[in-house]
Amino acid sequence: MSEEPGLSDQYPRASPWPLFVALGLTISEIGVFIGIFAVAVFGLLLFGGSVAGILTESGYTTRPWPTLLAFGGLLAVAGLAVVVWQVPLDAVTLENFGQNGLLARGVAVVASGIILVLAGAVASVVEQTSA
Amino acid sequence: MAGEQLVLTGLMAVLLVVIVGSLARIEDWRSYTPLVSGGGGYGEAPGHAHREKPGGVVRWLTTVDHKDIGILYGVYGVIAFAVGGIMAFLIRVQLTIPSGAIVGNNFYNSLLTSHGITMLFLFGTPIIAAFANYFVPLLIGADDMAFPRINAIAFWLLPPAALLIWAGFFTAPLTGNDIAPAQTAWTMYTPLSAEQVNPGVDLMLLGLHLSGVAATMGAINFIATIFTERGDDVNWANLDIFSWTILTQSGLILFAFPLLGSAMIMLLLDRNIGTTFFAVEGGGTMLWQHLFWFFGHPEVYILVLPPMGLISYILPKFCGRKLFGFKFIVYSTLAIGVLSFGVWAHHMFSTGMDPRLRASFMAVSLAIAIPSAVKTFNWITTMWNGRLRLTTPMLFCIGFVSNFILGGVTGVFLASIPVDLVLHDTYYVVGHFHYIVMGAIGFAVFAGIYYWFPIITGRMYQRTLGKAHFWLSMIGTNITFFAMLALGYLGMPRRYAGYEFDAAIAPLAQVTNFHQIASIGAFILLVGQLIFVWNIVTSWLEGRHVEGHDPWNLERDDMLGNEFTWFKQKRETALADGGEDEEESALADGGQTAEQQ
Repeated sequence: MSEEPGLSDQYPRASPWPLFVALGLTISEIGVFIGIFAVAVFGLLLFGGSVAGILTESGYTTRPWPTLLAFGGLLAVAGLAVVVWQVPLDAVTLENFGQNGLLARGVAVVASGIILVLAGAVASVVEQTSA
Repeated sequence: MAGEQLVLTGLMAVLLVVIVGSLARIEDWRSYTPLVSGGGGYGEAPGHAHREKPGGVVRWLTTVDHKDIGILYGVYGVIAFAVGGIMAFLIRVQLTIPSGAIVGNNFYNSLLTSHGITMLFLFGTPIIAAFANYFVPLLIGADDMAFPRINAIAFWLLPPAALLIWAGFFTAPLTGNDIAPAQTAWTMYTPLSAEQVNPGVDLMLLGLHLSGVAATMGAINFIATIFTERGDDVNWANLDIFSWTILTQSGLILFAFPLLGSAMIMLLLDRNIGTTFFAVEGGGTMLWQHLFWFFGHPEVYILVLPPMGLISYILPKFCGRKLFGFKFIVYSTLAIGVLSFGVWAHHMFSTGMDPRLRASFMAVSLAIAIPSAVKTFNWITTMWNGRLRLTTPMLFCIGFVSNFILGGVTGVFLASIPVDLVLHDTYYVVGHFHYIVMGAIGFAVFAGIYYWFPIITGRMYQRTLGKAHFWLSMIGTNITFFAMLALGYLGMPRRYAGYEFDAAIAPLAQVTNFHQIASIGAFILLVGQLIFVWNIVTSWLEGRHVEGHDPWNLERDDMLGNEFTWFKQKRETALADGGEDEEESALADGGQTAEQQ
């Protein structure tokens, strides 16, 4: 436990998470629908991380890492499913990445999912080993 | 291109690190413990707490207190009202001469589209949420909303939604009109909205989608709060009328907004991914109209039921008697809620639909006039032989009833197929619904703001300015929108950026006159709203402190509502705690009631 109490511990009617959940959802939508890879990944990471944070803060989960794993896994599976279902296999190439709108969006979602899963797994392991 | 992508990726990565870093600085993630009371609430106040909220800007960015969130919604709604109002004024200036006075046709289309969307989604729904957030928990004796954090998320989705909806106005000059504001009208009919290549339309659709998500989250929260968080002494029999209307409205939102969200995702996919939901070779263009109006007509009642609740709640307070036929007003609210899902095709009478279906939609549309009239007669009967006190909120209540009758009766005419076929897509329709959205909903909002101003700010507004606001609004509304009804009878089509007609189509001189009359009315309205904003801002900052907990002298008639009882307790607690000087001095005056208007 740190010396300084966190904001939501110090003040019962304050939480830093809702603002970032809303921002994350907004930026994810813009990134995915407009099709801007970096923005989509950033938005989904922010959204996934904030959801994990707010669920933990409000006591629905004890630690945030399982939420990151689940949310990331869901994203990865959903993104992969869309690509497999809608993009012909021979079109899945590096050159085609910038051309095919669906491929780029699918890859963005999969990439965000994988990063979230990795983050969740690493944090979980680090926490358990340091405890 | 690759360079740009790299820079953007770097920027996003830096931003993410900054956010994680700042969160880690203000929040201690390791200290979280499961809440005793289950999720959602605050649980027991942790040992560190000595104040409920941090100070400064951080308070407003992190608050999950329903009263703070109510104020945030209110400020947001008033800003959106100002933006939408300026757009409306520009529209009226444009139409003072037949060729259009100030802007080009495309920009006019953008203004028209954004005005409608701003007023309905960024002003109407949020300003109702402002009242509901602040007052429903107080009225039902709850500590807060059932899900305070979801409440905050729902609000914080709205500022980005507004920015996306207005984005085109900022990006158009920067991109040489490549990303311009949408020109789809607020109904976003396909194929127009599907085929406009402008990415500004995508941004607007995303913004609208977010505002829909926010409204749905808010609705779930209100339903859960009213069902599960009521105080021991509040039951279904004595639940106040405003909370009843919020409950019904939330039910409507729950069924209507997700449908709009889905339809907009389908439209976005049609626009960006090449799906064919609304293409002629796919679902067909009419599918959009059905989906849109299945949401769109309940949306009308989503917007009008809570204002009706405000009137039903506030009007009796200044009549010195209880609301006449309370039970029947509740029943009529529920009846309107149910019927509202069975009338959507009356927006589509002229599309060539099956005449038998059309007749059934006409019947239900006419039937919805009955519960609406039940309410109207009950308001009038409440006032009948009452001891009326013409305070500013009461004036707005009476203005509401008057304007609602005009807006409602013109709506009954439009529900009739033969009349609709003549008046469809004319200014008559515009006049009809503006009598409701401005003349009724806007007036109820003003009544609510003035009535509860003392609770929210602890101060009183300036009475003379309040009355000037009412009379300018009442006169301006009736000049502007009555002129529109006349324009409709003259055959003036809605949405046009100009009206240089052949005299064989419409009497140009008369049409010009009525347009100019409508614009004069809009100017009067603008002056009234400037006075309103001035009054609210200056009174909030330096208005006279209310003396006592009963500024409206309601105790005399035993009509002090739960929210004023809460206000009384708050003031007493502040005094016992050695609270602020201002409140001590107010009570030291002997709790005299504030001015009688």
